[in-house]
Amino acid sequence: MELTFQLIIYGILMGLVFALIALGLSLIFGVMNIVNFAHGEFLMVGMYIAYLISTFLHLDPLLSLPLAAIAGYMLGIMSYHFLIQHILRGPMVAQLFGTFGLMLFLRYLAMYIFTPDVRSIKQGLLVGKTLSFGWVNLDLSKVVSALLCMLSFGIVYWIIYRTKLGRALRATSIDAEAAQYMGIDTKKMNSLAWGIGGATVALAGSLLAHFYYITPTVGMLFTLIAFAIVALGGFGSITGAFIAGIIIGLIMVVSGHFLSELKFTFIYIVYFLVVVFRPRGFFGW
Amino acid sequence: MKTLLKDIFSFEDRPRFERIGFLIFIIIILIFPFIVKSAYGRAVMIKFLLFALFGVGWNLIGGYGGQVDLGQGKNVGFGAYTTGLMMLWWGIPFWVTVPIGMIIAAAESFGVAYPMFRLKGHYFAIATLCVALVWKELFVFWDWTGGARGIEIPVKPHPNFYYMQFGSPIYYHYFIFFLFITQVLFMNWFRKSKLGYELQAVRDNEEVASSLGINVYRTKVISYTITGGLGAVGGSFMTSYYLYIDPDFVMPLDLSILIAMTVMVGGGGSLWGPIIGAAFLIPLDMYLGAWLGAKKRLGIDFMIYALIMMFIAAREPRGIWGIIERIRKRK
Repeated sequence: MELTFQLIIYGILMGLVFALIALGLSLIFGVMNIVNFAHGEFLMVGMYIAYLISTFLHLDPLLSLPLAAIAGYMLGIMSYHFLIQHILRGPMVAQLFGTFGLMLFLRYLAMYIFTPDVRSIKQGLLVGKTLSFGWVNLDLSKVVSALLCMLSFGIVYWIIYRTKLGRALRATSIDAEAAQYMGIDTKKMNSLAWGIGGATVALAGSLLAHFYYITPTVGMLFTLIAFAIVALGGFGSITGAFIAGIIIGLIMVVSGHFLSELKFTFIYIVYFLVVVFRPRGFFGW
Repeated sequence: MKTLLKDIFSFEDRPRFERIGFLIFIIIILIFPFIVKSAYGRAVMIKFLLFALFGVGWNLIGGYGGQVDLGQGKNVGFGAYTTGLMMLWWGIPFWVTVPIGMIIAAAESFGVAYPMFRLKGHYFAIATLCVALVWKELFVFWDWTGGARGIEIPVKPHPNFYYMQFGSPIYYHYFIFFLFITQVLFMNWFRKSKLGYELQAVRDNEEVASSLGINVYRTKVISYTITGGLGAVGGSFMTSYYLYIDPDFVMPLDLSILIAMTVMVGGGGSLWGPIIGAAFLIPLDMYLGAWLGAKKRLGIDFMIYALIMMFIAAREPRGIWGIIERIRKRK
């Protein structure tokens, strides 16, 4: 009973973090129909920023949040300007390889700077503390990270659905050409989507670093998890990403408890089955 | 029969400079072990031929078919493990295990291709990636495949043509060259076959192909199945050459990517593209990696790879062969 409860709670908490990770991927896909293989690498950048702040500056890793968000934003915008807008015109193969190249570049840049060693954050306000509710003990860092992720998700949701900027963004994602006729600068919207995508995922990374190990190759795994979430929720759907994130989080935590070697296998299988049998996902259009 | 042989061995439809180039290439490969005596140089050459072999096979679905398959590593793994396990358990000769490995890889490819080709573009590419990753994790998880530790092939005391184990790399050089040239000839036949033309029509425009009476779905599934079988050959060679295999060595994601990349860099959908791509990337990898590795500069070689990849994707999606063709047309 306790175990079941704890697994479900952890699954939901993990799912909230996953939802924020997948948000950027879904947004980018929705706006310009391109899949970003480097998504997980943006996450890794956020993780390393938290690590640097904590280990070398001896500050609390929570302080890295704004820094990670800004770095992610810059990274997203730069990727768009130097790479993505040049490959958008090309065939799909070129698009795939372009973002794949970006992924390899960031990964091995991190390997060059930080070596392949596995690292983790050891000091911080949240690290290693537990939160007790009577008979259930929860890892404080996971709870706070998940709540902050949910908050960030809410802010982005608000920007997209309640502001003029968000409306322009949504218009671009529905029909870029028509949006351009209406006087929306679609190039700017594309670059903004990359900026928001990068910022949210780097933020999620700096939170994830509180309780997850950090290596240069950690990104690929989260890229695939994000793909699975986006596929399940429907490509381009923000609400879908939120709900699917929680579902995937639950699947991973529960299957990971019983068959820890194969916990990622289940996620790949979910992706495969969803994409093959319901390509629109649950909330896609 | 005569037309079949002609289709296999004739390169007459290619311009003269290509035929001469290919002839010079073959002569260089044939005399290579007598010129280069260093063990490292020979190892680089063997690795080049191995990846040219992988590239030529992948080119079928990736180049002629235009379907981005990022899971060729799993087929290499099937070939390698079939050969390795059969040798280890029952001592079955190499030449018997190769066709069995090909059949297993092709059967698996056929099985997953059936649902997978309902997808297109990005969705398809990620699905192939996922399938390859699932297989790799299963091979790590299972005990009977040796798990993450992998398997070692018992070494025969004497050079042996049944098990293809030799003391000198010269034998392996000609052995992989033989496998490589067989696949080049197969591809030479394939591109002129009915299926080959159908596949190229599907790549160029699915709707037009479909309206001409081509069964698009069936063409893709059969091509994907053949590609799976072709990938397994190189895997079998890896087992007999390295005498040790584990999932991280014969079926990692990096291998799938590198195979796709050799074709992409060289130029997909042409007979020579994968060979040019492998000739460019493999020596770069081996020499640059060794040189930088000695200086403890980990990762720079892959960063250079990545920059090349991004540059080619942005500037010349048809690869090096595309550049060559463009220069030639200008004249």
